[in-house]
Amino acid sequence: MSEKLIHEANEQAARFFSRRHFLRDCIGGLGATALGTMLGGCNLFSRSGDGLPQSLNPLAPHAPQFPARAKNVIYLHMAGAPSQLEMFDYKPELQKLHNQLCPQSLLEGKKFAFIRGVPKMLGPQAEFKQHGQSGAWVSDHLPHFASLVDEVSFLKAVQTDQFNHGPAQLFMHTGSARLGRPSIGAWVTYGLGTENSNLPGFVVLTSGGKTPDAGKSVWGSGFLPSVYQGVQCRSKGDPVLFLTDPNGMDRDLRYQSIHAINEVNKQEYETFKDPEILSRISQYELAYKMQISVPGVMDIADEPEYIHQLYGTQPGKESFANNCLLARKLVEKGVRFVQLFDWGWDAHGTDEGLSIDYGLRNKCREIDRPMSALLLDLKQRGLLDETLVVWGGEFGRTPMQENRDGKEMPFMGRDHHVEAFTMWMAGGGIRKGFTWGETDEIGFGAVKGKVAVHDIHATMLQQLGFDHEKLTYHFQGRPFRLTDVGGHVINEIIS
Amino acid sequence: MTDMILQAQQGSWSLFIGRFHPLLVHLPIGMLIIAFILEWMSRHRRLAFLAPSVLPVLIFGSLSAIASCIAGYLLSLTGGYDESALALHMWLGIAVAVISVLLCVLKRYTVFRKGWLPVSALMVLLLSAAGHFGGNLTHGEDYLTAAMPFGNAKKSSPSSTITNIEEAKVYEQLVKPILEQKCYGCHNEQKLKGGLRLDSLTHIRRGGEHGPVLKDSIPEASELYKRLILSDNDDRRMPPKGKPQLSPQQVEIIYWWIAQGASATATVKELHKSPRIQLVLESLQPSAGPGNNPFVPQMDAKAASAKDIAALEGTGVKVMPVAADNNYLMVNAVNAASFGNREAALLLPLKSQIVWLKLSGTKAGDSALAVIGKMPQLTRLQLENTAVTDAGLPALADCRQLKYLNLTGTRVTDKGLVTLQKNKALRELFIYKTGITAEAIGKMGKLMPDLKIDTGGYQMPTLVTDTTVYRKAKS
Repeated sequence: MSEKLIHEANEQAARFFSRRHFLRDCIGGLGATALGTMLGGCNLFSRSGDGLPQSLNPLAPHAPQFPARAKNVIYLHMAGAPSQLEMFDYKPELQKLHNQLCPQSLLEGKKFAFIRGVPKMLGPQAEFKQHGQSGAWVSDHLPHFASLVDEVSFLKAVQTDQFNHGPAQLFMHTGSARLGRPSIGAWVTYGLGTENSNLPGFVVLTSGGKTPDAGKSVWGSGFLPSVYQGVQCRSKGDPVLFLTDPNGMDRDLRYQSIHAINEVNKQEYETFKDPEILSRISQYELAYKMQISVPGVMDIADEPEYIHQLYGTQPGKESFANNCLLARKLVEKGVRFVQLFDWGWDAHGTDEGLSIDYGLRNKCREIDRPMSALLLDLKQRGLLDETLVVWGGEFGRTPMQENRDGKEMPFMGRDHHVEAFTMWMAGGGIRKGFTWGETDEIGFGAVKGKVAVHDIHATMLQQLGFDHEKLTYHFQGRPFRLTDVGGHVINEIIS
Repeated sequence: MTDMILQAQQGSWSLFIGRFHPLLVHLPIGMLIIAFILEWMSRHRRLAFLAPSVLPVLIFGSLSAIASCIAGYLLSLTGGYDESALALHMWLGIAVAVISVLLCVLKRYTVFRKGWLPVSALMVLLLSAAGHFGGNLTHGEDYLTAAMPFGNAKKSSPSSTITNIEEAKVYEQLVKPILEQKCYGCHNEQKLKGGLRLDSLTHIRRGGEHGPVLKDSIPEASELYKRLILSDNDDRRMPPKGKPQLSPQQVEIIYWWIAQGASATATVKELHKSPRIQLVLESLQPSAGPGNNPFVPQMDAKAASAKDIAALEGTGVKVMPVAADNNYLMVNAVNAASFGNREAALLLPLKSQIVWLKLSGTKAGDSALAVIGKMPQLTRLQLENTAVTDAGLPALADCRQLKYLNLTGTRVTDKGLVTLQKNKALRELFIYKTGITAEAIGKMGKLMPDLKIDTGGYQMPTLVTDTTVYRKAKS
């Protein structure tokens, strides 16, 4: 019955659609199309929205917009947000207020993830000393790193606007708190391609037993072709899953089949010009090459003993230390962007592992030696010069003791804090032994040298040779960029 | 100036109307120009139909010109402008009004037809002049010329040429640019708001109609500083609400300069610095801008031939410009482990373009160094884990720009190290895992004090805390 009705309706419609209608629509449509092409979107004169020229190999290396100071990036992300107040931001005044009720003026108009009512202040749970020529304050939780403060620039007043892990991690890594944007590593690979054609340009290594709360989108490619997404490698077991040949298939047969599939895909691309087909072709090719290259570069067992001692690595284990050593090896092999995630920094005080008094100290111990070793090892190989190392969480932690649901916590804990936290950068043309930004007496708010998440992105891109406003990709009718509509390069920390 | 603010607070009709002057002036400008254009176009036979429209436009134009003159006169009563510049603008404005009325009369009574077009042209000329001088009064004389993209636009302020902040002159290079940017607009030769000029130290010291603005060494008693930190809503705050404000860093600089005696000649290093100002000053230390990379020569090179690049790439080496629109090349052999001395010959045609060369882990040896030695612009050379030896290094003496050299994991010894003293530009040298001894490094350090030699081999002490696991004591 309904079929008949539809048929009838179609016929009626066709009857009204005269030759005159047809011609009018055609001419009108054609005119509109032509006009659209002539106007060329909104930017008649600017060429900023064109994106980058795409070649048949989406991973071919490109030159940046201006000569780069950094060729590689190692981003150490402490997922869960480490407490700046026990590591870098020394606040003796806060100690005096320890266990006193938080003044109402600090709480007015503020929202916290878990703190309710009026919490008590929590003094710093670490001893601080000044270190190095630069006199940077570092706590005794990080004894090894403290000897390297003259290599890094601290950003003491970083601000974000997301106080939950997922959105904040997305914001920190994609420039947007909502899903769908490409991660920094994807932008960088899109901008620069990969120098080593046998390895991916963007590698992700995780430790701490969990991937970040925001999921794998923090190393996703968003609206960029999927070839630019991060390739997750494991430091335990097969480095890359499903990379080894299945039983009964030798390498030659693998080559033949990939070759045949790629031939078909190339024809497909000729017909449809869909960039995702190119992605697929290059992924097949890369995977084939990675079968040879990855096991070598991902195997830390052949490193000499003194290197293992330096990092505190134990081959075959999944650890932050192993990942740091891998990061060095990958950068040495020309991998553009190595992203480390270390989970377990969410010290709310809900249990021993996630507490300021126990868990945090253990986490600090876990990263102290490896990240210091990474800096030293890059330095002695002459790689720190061209490798930008970035360290930080997705936000900071409150100067107040957490009181989830208005109750006292079993352990010392701090809630999520967006208004001021510490990050540091080193190498890749960043100033050595410098501190930028300042927080107030109790470390609640930023007083000077405020830095936004997009500013960090803009600075990273600048060191890699890009004007963050000009590294764009055309999507849904407008050019997008990592820094959205914000971002100022932090010139103060550039040497 | 306080008079004016006082007037404004009390609400005076004359000032209120006067402040409409900047709005009103645009009406005669537009209308009188349109009248002239219509007049001119209507001369054309095919556009003669436009003729009747000229008079109405002209009438509105002259009425608005008269209104602007009145408002302008009322505004001028508040003072604060350079007398002669003001007089010029005023009389030009009045001339425009008079001539536009005259033209109305001529047109209305259809007399002196021949003169209509020349008179209206003269009117437009006067109008442009009046507008220009009016603009100068409000924005300052060099407002227009400063933005000129060509010719002798005022040369950039010396602040942009600070190379070493310690050597910078405090008044000339730090304070003056701030005043120039944020204060000159209203306190200059022509526009003396409050009778105050800030465009030279002599004038600053002379003060305004309410007395001195600068009390040496006491910023808290100097209007020049005090006004900057008043609340936004205070009418005495400077710069006034709505004008570009000083940044906190700039206020800090003014404070410091006055506190240190408001010297005309002192340099940064001569004055005492508090930690606060130290931070501000550090942020002024110019960093290498995006286009300014110490490892790329300033002058661009001639483009390399695509054929030579392709030949080199045939060996599996990546050859890329260091930046888009730059002809200097970076060469990376990360995928060409078999790259050796024979392949190195292919580098030769690109010798003037290659600035960064990475041959790490290749088979390149001493005869490759002979080729590399012919690269005059080379700044970065990475030879980690290659076959190069002491015998090859002297060939690098002609790489006059070489700043970075990485010899990690090579068989280079003390003998080779000494030959590098010919490379005067060398700043960073990496000799981790080579045969070079501490003694030779010491000697080299004396010969080349600017050279940083990284010997590597770092170890970190083993601490008890490296293995301490923190646990709550079981009670």
